[in-house]
Amino acid sequence: MIVLRAVEAGFSRDDLTVETFSFTLRAGESVCVVQPNARAASTAARMCAAIVKPSTGTIFVGEYETRLQPPEAKRRVGFVDAAGFEGDDHAFRCEVAFRADVWNLDPSAAQERARGVLATLGGGAYERAIALALVADVAAVVLDRPAPGVLERLRGLVPLAGIAHTRAAPVPALPEPALLLPAAR
Amino acid sequence: MNELRATVAIVRRHIDRRFAWDFVAHAVLVGAIAFFFARLLTAWWTPLAVASALGAAMAGERSLARSLRRLTFFAMPLYGRQLARAHAVAPSLMALSVPLGYAAGAALRGAPLSPALLLATVLAALVATLVSLSSVFRDGARAALYVALAATLGAAVTVAPFALEDSVARASELAIALAAIAGFFALRAFGETLARYDPIA
Repeated sequence: MIVLRAVEAGFSRDDLTVETFSFTLRAGESVCVVQPNARAASTAARMCAAIVKPSTGTIFVGEYETRLQPPEAKRRVGFVDAAGFEGDDHAFRCEVAFRADVWNLDPSAAQERARGVLATLGGGAYERAIALALVADVAAVVLDRPAPGVLERLRGLVPLAGIAHTRAAPVPALPEPALLLPAAR
Repeated sequence: MNELRATVAIVRRHIDRRFAWDFVAHAVLVGAIAFFFARLLTAWWTPLAVASALGAAMAGERSLARSLRRLTFFAMPLYGRQLARAHAVAPSLMALSVPLGYAAGAALRGAPLSPALLLATVLAALVATLVSLSSVFRDGARAALYVALAATLGAAVTVAPFALEDSVARASELAIALAAIAGFFALRAFGETLARYDPIA
């Protein structure tokens, strides 16, 4: 089952360009979207989570296009921001309760689920953001620039979800023009 | 999706202890202005202009903008118009601190506002707040222009009926009708602004 699909999706604004990307993500699979810098990678992650609308191409979460039906798309995606969740325990519990209300979930079950995720992943800021993303039952998880090792631990928690993550990698410099020329005889 | 439950959750998120302190502080400040500057503020439309200007300024405040631009709100499975309605509740309640404070200050000074003028002052503050909310997702000159438009519109829809109509009852009805129309379109515009806004990193 396809949970997330990007078709020539890109974003362009005066000071920001997200390189065009395409992928098809099925349940239980993972995909990495590589962008030339952190800002572009974050924006690409937000595009996959239906938070930012692509300026070119389309992104589908399940059967819902993110530009036309953002609420339906967002309901099926858990988004993890690179900054993580910085609040203390009380703020975290309040955030879980808030999400339970917004997603129309049972509050105590949501708290239980969040605690379970933290028990497995650990209690860092990024792990807390993952726990918040998984409060609702989602088909896909979108992670903005996760730390090494996070994906493997997350896969154990959500074996059936599609996982899309972004990475910032500088574009390799082109070889010197002279090196492209055929060797002199 | 239970929209009412989501709306209540967002409203509760905005209305915390700090909100209550801010409400009281604004009311006391405006009350003090109405009390100490009563001799300067003699024109009948003064409370309307004050409520409109302060309502617009409070809704256009940058700390509110930072709060509403938080990523958590944009990740929620709601349409822009639903989010706009939920976001508008707390600033609208906060705007009521201006007419309430002004009325209290004027009453303490011995020149209480008439019920019709108090109603018009409330309407001016609400219209200015709702129009000014669209400045939250804009920056610089465009945000400032929205705040100025909000202050002008809030005063206009309440001053005009009382200036043009002799009957206070008719003027009040007209002011309510104009404020309802302006508020409706302002909220709609805020929803559109929210839907179009891209929270890029």
